[in-house]
Amino acid sequence: MKVALGWLCTAAVVCFAAPALAKTWQVDAARSALTFTNAYQGVPYTGQFRRFTAVIDYDPKDLAHAKFEVTVDITSLDTQNAERDHTALGADFFDTTKFPRAYFVTTSFHQAANGKIVADGTLTLRGISKPVMLDVAFSPQGGAATLDVTARLKRLDFGIGAGQWADPSMIGNDVTVHGHLLLHR
Amino acid sequence: MRLRSTEAGWGVLLRTFHWLIAALILAQAVIGLSMVPMGVTPAKVRVFALHKSIGMTILALALLRIAWRMGEKRPVDPAGMPRWQRGAARAVHLTLYFLILAIPLSGWWFNSASNAPLAWFGLFPIPSLTGGYDPVWKPRALLTHQMLFWVLVALLVAHVGAALWHHFVQRDDVLRRMLVGSRERNGGG
Repeated sequence: MKVALGWLCTAAVVCFAAPALAKTWQVDAARSALTFTNAYQGVPYTGQFRRFTAVIDYDPKDLAHAKFEVTVDITSLDTQNAERDHTALGADFFDTTKFPRAYFVTTSFHQAANGKIVADGTLTLRGISKPVMLDVAFSPQGGAATLDVTARLKRLDFGIGAGQWADPSMIGNDVTVHGHLLLHR
Repeated sequence: MRLRSTEAGWGVLLRTFHWLIAALILAQAVIGLSMVPMGVTPAKVRVFALHKSIGMTILALALLRIAWRMGEKRPVDPAGMPRWQRGAARAVHLTLYFLILAIPLSGWWFNSASNAPLAWFGLFPIPSLTGGYDPVWKPRALLTHQMLFWVLVALLVAHVGAALWHHFVQRDDVLRRMLVGSRERNGGG
């Protein structure tokens, strides 16, 4: 009975999971980056989250089964300014004591009128979930691929720096997030 | 009002530079000393931005002042002024010129090494001197900025003290020719 169950499980994995596994990529974390740009006092700057994990199921010919699932360690924020990072992790901004991680998962993919691929998903950041659209650029190179995704967010949609820091002339409301991932099988 | 300096007194342009920079230095000292202990609020960010903008203004004015001064006559020292006093006055003046360049520059350097934003009164961005965050030079730049400030304070005590001494004890023209230029009766004004 145990043996039969074992075979059944194996068969299930082979029949159902294998097609999904075929398009699951491994992310080369060391060569991937999650960066963002924003403006502080009218001067643009770039920051990054040094630690994030991404599960990428993607085949450009099979968008129906594509899925991105990304978890970001917000405490790994680095804007190359120690004071700014310290403030940004505090309660007025990311509030990492309560919300140490952000989570993004796609809900569907489609091809836009200009031929580009767009992913719709949900971003949960600082305890707030909002729909977010990703521009997807995927370029396979043999057994590897690069995946570039771009999202345009409003920090105030997620309550980051609301209240006394809300003034967008001091801290821009628009944030462009860019993920550059190196993938391999 | 003479634009240019003469042997009898400073011209209106150099006097304007002198008093404008003096007023801005006084404002910078008050702002600089009171902004550091402020709690992290938007007000603190604005006060820091103001300090940076005034500092860059002083740097620009100092450069213009020095360039103008190069082509100017220097009013003559009062008759009978001892040699050591002339030497001390020259040394203090030269060091003050150095400091009105070096203090804003060290602040700009510290700001650059901190990777902090810099936009002159929010109007246009001023480039970084270090090309981004530099944790090695950041504390050195800050220490330089602070040390030079205290050197400035010490020299200003001497500078202001000497000016008042000339005016009230020696009763000569040294302070007057920086306030109003040369005496009217000597054909100035």
